[in-house]
Amino acid sequence: MRTSNRRRRAVAVRRIPSYVLLTAISLVFIGPILWMVSGSFKSINEILKYPPLLLPEVFRWENYAQVFTLQPFARQFFNSVLVMVLICLVTLIIAIPAGYALARVRPAGAAAIFVVLLCGIFIPPEAVIVPLFQTAAQLGWVDTFWPLVIFTSMLSTGPVAMFIMRQAFLTLPPEFEEAATLDGASRWRTMVQIFIPLVRPSIASAIVFTAWFSWNQFLEPLVYLRSQEMLTVPVALTLFEDALAGPRWNVQMAATTISVLPVLIVFLIAQRHVVSGLTAGGLKS
Amino acid sequence: MLVVGLVAVGGVVQLSLTRVNVLAGTREFVGLENYARIATDPDMGVILSNTFFFVIVLSIAGTAAALALAILLNQRLPGINIFRAAIFIPALVTTVAWTLVWRFILQPEGLLDGIIGLVGAEPLPWLRGGWLSLSVFALIQLTKNVGINMMIFLAALQAVPQELLDAAVVDGAGRWSRFRHVVLPQISPAILMVFMLMVSGSFKVFELVLLLTNGGPGVQTSVLAFEIYRQAFRLNDIGYAAALAVFLFALVLALTGIIWQLRRKLVFHENE
Repeated sequence: MRTSNRRRRAVAVRRIPSYVLLTAISLVFIGPILWMVSGSFKSINEILKYPPLLLPEVFRWENYAQVFTLQPFARQFFNSVLVMVLICLVTLIIAIPAGYALARVRPAGAAAIFVVLLCGIFIPPEAVIVPLFQTAAQLGWVDTFWPLVIFTSMLSTGPVAMFIMRQAFLTLPPEFEEAATLDGASRWRTMVQIFIPLVRPSIASAIVFTAWFSWNQFLEPLVYLRSQEMLTVPVALTLFEDALAGPRWNVQMAATTISVLPVLIVFLIAQRHVVSGLTAGGLKS
Repeated sequence: MLVVGLVAVGGVVQLSLTRVNVLAGTREFVGLENYARIATDPDMGVILSNTFFFVIVLSIAGTAAALALAILLNQRLPGINIFRAAIFIPALVTTVAWTLVWRFILQPEGLLDGIIGLVGAEPLPWLRGGWLSLSVFALIQLTKNVGINMMIFLAALQAVPQELLDAAVVDGAGRWSRFRHVVLPQISPAILMVFMLMVSGSFKVFELVLLLTNGGPGVQTSVLAFEIYRQAFRLNDIGYAAALAVFLFALVLALTGIIWQLRRKLVFHENE
């Protein structure tokens, strides 16, 4: 008994350096987030103080109220959610049948289509934003959500989601399909009733990836959207500035905190799905 | 979808051969003039070397850092999941939010100046150009995304069959040679994948440049992706921006293509 206790203590002591190292590394990653939260409660005078204060003297919740009075932030938040939902829907509508076709139906030239898709994954949005903007302008889509939803789901999230779905359908045994065909099910019915329920985890991954991508987008809304009521959260965050005094750091940090919170909550609830969604593109190649 | 993709690519190539006057609404064909301008523009030297600085540093350091973190976090310790989550969290935060928080940290007499002040150093001009700014950018971008790659590596490390490791121990392999000869070949497909994602991803250092320095002073901290945006949407030089875009496009395709070709030599076994 005594020896096992001593051994346990020895193990615990040996672990201390590991914990110190891990804590130090983790601070680099979550330190900025803690600093953001602390800054969001400070007065502007406290923010400009040097050397900086770690914590505000009084927690100023009014910074959070100002987020909503300086800009239509509630509306902008809703815009971001709406765009996210629409992009997810369009992406799934494209990616599930296309991924199924690539994996199971194997049309002529499937390999070539697949390579083009892979290229799509690696092309930076900056490279095609100019002609896309011109097309959007010709269609009268500037300052609407159309170009955001359509172009993003077709060129950015669609290829990745299709890739995830293709890999998922590939892992399923073809016998299922043969059995369904024998029972007289059409190809479409086979996909909807047999295969889709089996790839639910991959659909979750595709949704997580797409939602995250859309929530993150900055260049596209910056280019396509104009009026303040139409902006999405990332663009709105950059606009908490005073023409004369520069950035309103405290209000900006409060808004940033508001934008980060829902994502963190989703992460804490569905950690496994979030991790697999964000790593799916890489893992399954 | 293919059609939209092809239209976008075709459109950008076509635009790159023209000079567009947005105010007059005219467009004239100028052949390769815009490409000649890329070659002669003195700013391009700086912009390209910055772009390649990010590609090289982020792909190599990013992959190495992710692998090192994955190895460090691939141990059985009570509470290890908390540390894994902590390193993953920046990946969840939007790039804009992460950049704004760092701008707050880097502001003159901000947190970072305060921290180096603790050891008696003077405040540094973090965002006024030069190597210091570029290194800070690389650090911000790296910490943002390293969590995703770390998770890819963690999954790969945990998929290494235990029997192989046990066999190596029986054969008298030390820690390093077990890693070098057993683990590394097993996870090489994951390494290649992460490396490729990092190469193509590091062309997208856009938000940081726009929000932290606007590419300035001059073009000292600009990169290709930002220059496209600036030429197209601030200077309204659509033709030149399109030529730059074609150039960027070709660069990314060429680089990822080369790496993809090299995979047969470097990757242990690839089951397609």
